[in-house]
Amino acid sequence: MMRPLAPFRSRLRTLAPATALIAGAAALGLAAAVSLDPLVPESAVEHRPVAVTEDGYVSSETCRACHPSQFQTWRGSFHRTMTQVATPESVRADFDGVVVDAVPGRPMRLERRGDEFWAEFDDPGWEGDPGARPRITRQVVMITGSHHQNIYWYSTGHERALNVLPGVYLLDEERWTPRNAVVLAPPGQGVAMLDGHWNAVCIDCHTTHGKTRFDTPFRSEPIREQSIDTTVAELGIACEACHGPAAAHVAANRNPLRRYALHAAGAPDPTIVEPTRLDPQRSSQVCGQCHSIWEFPDSASERAASAGGLPFRPGDELRETRFVAQPRVNGRSPAMRNLMAADPDFVRGSFWPDGLVRVSGREYNGLIDSPCFTDAAAPERTLSCFSCHTMHKTPEDPRSIAEWADTHQVSAGMDGNAACTQCHDGIAADVSAHTNHAPASAGSRCYNCHMPYTSYGLLRAIRSHTVTSPTVRESVEIGRPNACNLCHLDRTLAWSADRLRDWYAQPPPDLPAAERSVAASVLWLLRGDAGQRALTAWSYGWEPAQEASGTSWMVPYLGELLGDPYDAVRFISARSLRTISGFETLQYDFTASRDARIEAAVGALRAWRNSPRARMRRDPELLFGPNGALDTAAMRRLFDRRDTRPLFLRE
Amino acid sequence: MAASPSPPQPDYVRRHLRFGWWALFAFLLLGATLETLHGFKAGFYLDVSNETRRLMWTLAHAHGALLGLVNVAAGATLRALPELPGDARIPLISATLRAATVLLPAGFFAGGVTFYSGDPGVGIALVPVGAACLAIAVFLLARAVSSPSRPPAPTEKRRRNG
Repeated sequence: MMRPLAPFRSRLRTLAPATALIAGAAALGLAAAVSLDPLVPESAVEHRPVAVTEDGYVSSETCRACHPSQFQTWRGSFHRTMTQVATPESVRADFDGVVVDAVPGRPMRLERRGDEFWAEFDDPGWEGDPGARPRITRQVVMITGSHHQNIYWYSTGHERALNVLPGVYLLDEERWTPRNAVVLAPPGQGVAMLDGHWNAVCIDCHTTHGKTRFDTPFRSEPIREQSIDTTVAELGIACEACHGPAAAHVAANRNPLRRYALHAAGAPDPTIVEPTRLDPQRSSQVCGQCHSIWEFPDSASERAASAGGLPFRPGDELRETRFVAQPRVNGRSPAMRNLMAADPDFVRGSFWPDGLVRVSGREYNGLIDSPCFTDAAAPERTLSCFSCHTMHKTPEDPRSIAEWADTHQVSAGMDGNAACTQCHDGIAADVSAHTNHAPASAGSRCYNCHMPYTSYGLLRAIRSHTVTSPTVRESVEIGRPNACNLCHLDRTLAWSADRLRDWYAQPPPDLPAAERSVAASVLWLLRGDAGQRALTAWSYGWEPAQEASGTSWMVPYLGELLGDPYDAVRFISARSLRTISGFETLQYDFTASRDARIEAAVGALRAWRNSPRARMRRDPELLFGPNGALDTAAMRRLFDRRDTRPLFLRE
Repeated sequence: MAASPSPPQPDYVRRHLRFGWWALFAFLLLGATLETLHGFKAGFYLDVSNETRRLMWTLAHAHGALLGLVNVAAGATLRALPELPGDARIPLISATLRAATVLLPAGFFAGGVTFYSGDPGVGIALVPVGAACLAIAVFLLARAVSSPSRPPAPTEKRRRNG
């Protein structure tokens, strides 16, 4: 006897919609799973340095759970993106079938392969006939820099060793440029482009707790014969770079009673380092572990760091494990002599002749030579990095995280005179009485006189982080542009000396004839070394200097520098020239052929001569004759006395 | 001899329906306030530095609204099952459920008023107390509805007819 089917059919009808819904969801899930790329675990990556959790480091993702605000502000900073894995999100340049001419040799060809980035270019390691230099195709796997430049690193194919693409992508200009052109280096000289360079050198300050892990010292033997198992705790500068390894802190604070006891007491947690609670010396050394010019004390410590990472931990005395180069203090030390033996131009490429640091990224060196740091009467009145900067934007700061990060993480309100008047409060009441400039003018901003733009890096001038008072003597004897003439570009050193004598009782130095009769900036541009030229050319585009000095006379001088032998000087000069009315759309490529560059410079000069602006100034200090004509013979005489000694600034 | 009248029993059904609906109304207002803070992008609620406050107040809203519904459900349960066993401890269930309805959202809300980075303020201490009350209430009610029912009390009409 057959069973009736009606109840079964009825149940089937009831279940059908639910069954269809479940089946549809399963199909969608399956499709999503198939379409997504499989996530490659970090431990499975073999062709680049990898992040590992060891030695008590736990990574910023762990910190995030309990410190969301601090995590977010750090995440928005350029410290995080100091080094990144190359992904569609982090790569800013277009790789989609792009051909880049601005590289040495034949053009570099870029290609996207899904989410991967590939480049074909001349093999930089080729040591045979240059004409037979082969092409290589490599995958770009990492990036350093994210504020002004993207520097791309490719997998060499030998273990975890990286090398750098021959072109750098400038973020503001949205263009490629040769790797060597972004540093201030003599023509034909520049930064190393060696297999393993990132692993051996860059890693120390572009990652958190990096271990180079070369089995033998870098460059002691062919790289292909070395074992390279580079690891980091985290790519980029992460929480634990400044707070120290956090495993013990995390373990201890799983106990809520402990956390709330600490909250109630307001006491520091001994399981972690809070840099702002350290004394000014130690807190600044946390920054100084990277923002300084340092070297290993000896080869044994270098080998130990290669295997186990740098031994410095936040809160430690930096000099116990590093030699911090400070020519004023240890210029004759054995360690400095060793440095000089290995690199005779090291000091000149990093410091002014009086020992003040002249390159960017080394602000700790500037700080420790400042009287506000060395001579302060009490810790609370001692200048430290945290007097002006904050690593975590505060809730009271009205700026966005991006704005705060873009302004070098200066604390809210510390981009003005408050930075100085927090100690020098007597000056705040009547700034003009001290500055002899209008209160709201650039001349009444403490920074402009006491931290002028006399350091160089990243194709721009950077504020000196040695707090000084301007003198003409520093320009005459040291060669460092003084703050007065970096703003009053159309004035002579003698003019500045007179003001400094009248206002601050500075005895004026004896000045040679040119220094008394020709504007200081013109001397630096025509006669100065490449470093002086770069700084001065940048100042020609600096808005406060343009307001103080006018711009109508600048074109022939900046035009002269469009033909400078140094790539960086040409680049900066063109950028400043484009800030001048009428030259905003200047067609000039600083990497173009010499003929093309000269043609562009001549064109700019012609345009200027044909404009009424050419006759607006008749100052003899600017080498204009009484009829308004430029004294090109005088320019030539100064040019012939140019300091042509090769200069490579080690930023 | 006439039986002495039993002491008046609280009307638990009405009590929880009333409590639940007013709780729903109160936390509806809190939800609307939070939405308004979103609308006007209030920094003290939405800024990254106030993430803990946002989480705590969201939890206060969610728990308050949900517990309002639980109170309504409790009232409906008591109404549907008037024959719950005599040892059902209805007064304790009622008290702990109402305490939880106050303590849980209040703890979350207070924890977001002042806080320590990722840690809520000390007001969060109310939350485990409220959670314990809720656990007691739910357990006792679950046990009561799972126990054999007591026979229904004779009605006045039956008594008269008997």
